[in-house]
Amino acid sequence: MDALRRAPLVTAVAVATVFVAVLVTGLFAALLGGGERLVAAWAGDVPVSVYLVPGADLEAAREAARRIAPGRPVEAVAPREALARLRASLGEEAGALDGLGEDVLPASVEVRTSGLGPAGVRELAARLRGVPGAAEVDFGGAWLERIATLLARARAVGVALLVAVALATAVLVSNTLRLAVYARRDEIEIMKLVGATDLHVGAPFVVEGALQGLLGAGLAVGALLGASAALLPRLRGALPLAAPLTRADVLPGGLLALLLAGGTALGVAASLLSLRRFLRRA
Amino acid sequence: MIQLFHVTKQYGTDAPALSDVSLEVRKGEFVFLTGPSGAGKSTLLKLIFCAEPSTSGQILVFGRNVSRIRPSAVPHLRRAIGVVFQDFKLLPHRTVAENVAVPLEVRGLHPREVARKVAVALRGVGLDLKGGRFPLSLSGGEQQRAAVARALVGDPALLLADEPTGNLDADRTLEVMALLEAASARGTTVVVATHDRALLARHKKRVIALEAGRMVSDGDSIRRAAGS
Repeated sequence: MDALRRAPLVTAVAVATVFVAVLVTGLFAALLGGGERLVAAWAGDVPVSVYLVPGADLEAAREAARRIAPGRPVEAVAPREALARLRASLGEEAGALDGLGEDVLPASVEVRTSGLGPAGVRELAARLRGVPGAAEVDFGGAWLERIATLLARARAVGVALLVAVALATAVLVSNTLRLAVYARRDEIEIMKLVGATDLHVGAPFVVEGALQGLLGAGLAVGALLGASAALLPRLRGALPLAAPLTRADVLPGGLLALLLAGGTALGVAASLLSLRRFLRRA
Repeated sequence: MIQLFHVTKQYGTDAPALSDVSLEVRKGEFVFLTGPSGAGKSTLLKLIFCAEPSTSGQILVFGRNVSRIRPSAVPHLRRAIGVVFQDFKLLPHRTVAENVAVPLEVRGLHPREVARKVAVALRGVGLDLKGGRFPLSLSGGEQQRAAVARALVGDPALLLADEPTGNLDADRTLEVMALLEAASARGTTVVVATHDRALLARHKKRVIALEAGRMVSDGDSIRRAAGS
């Protein structure tokens, strides 16, 4: 790191710029990844309920549901059991149900959907409409679908934003590195005059840019890992819905590798941008 | 070695720095390029080592038309040319030996070979004991001798010197000119740009005179000195 010795401030600014860009990108990706993981987990917890018309054959409906969703747990819920569940869920307010007949609630068939995303649940619900005697199919996932849609839009907007952030960072870092190149313009000029190729002159700057990018990205990845280690346990403690969230969900290894590679690529791109003018001049 | 055919160089809308210059320098010749400041001496040298493109005309160096040379071929052409500048152009944060080594390093020579050639070059200019010093700790004459060593270390076929004695006193001028003549005696073609008439009078060499970008005479220094 010859540049670090000769121009420590320029190096520090370049590293800090890449650090901020990679940190922002990583945070966004972590939030998006965590959100998608939670939506998938919540979707799996919500069963698809097929409510039957009065007098429908509950056993036949359960068999039909098993055929439609092979391998998935299917439970037949008789009206009496449905009422018992409602009583249990109401707790102290259960007295409000006193006096109602045992068959006031419709019979239903419940299909578990663990492992299916919102789209899979919706598709299964559509197929379960074919259960004989089905009056209504509820997968209680309209809100999940809205969150999933929101996440999909955030992803699209995020990708556009990240491209803009990457470009802005490349320009910003290239302007910073240009100071380093400018400080060594005499050396570049003399090397060119004695027959150095652009590759020979530019290679050290590109390597320095790559190292600065890698260093900035490495620090950002370290900060992201530190933040996830500190915040995830608290989030899980404060929000039971976030219980399934792990570090690998929020910051998977692939994402971390991508951030390191992206930071390095930013450093290389910035070096090439800053060198272009000087090499042309000499 | 060098051939110019009707070469013109113009910067923007200014008057041409060089106008319709044609000349030939043969292999092994020692040539002075002279004229007042702004005559076009430095511009002519820059065109020869491809630091600038000509506006029109053809320039052949080692038989290659440098007016049409690909940018990627320029470094290889320059490796056969040594250049000495009035302001030395030594890198201040590198030692004298490291400065002299630069032309060899860019060619990718083995460090051992670089060290051997640098030692020979420094001995040739009498700086073998000052290779570890930094340029700014040397006198002007010593710095110029280091610059000559850097220009000659790669055994160039052509040596271009742009006012190499412009910053030196009379004794240091003699030293540097002796080095250039020694290179010429070893077969290197030498072109020296200078406005120093005393230099022309002292060294009996071919003199090409430029004025306002035009070539006004081409002959030996004795005739030139007598005519001026």
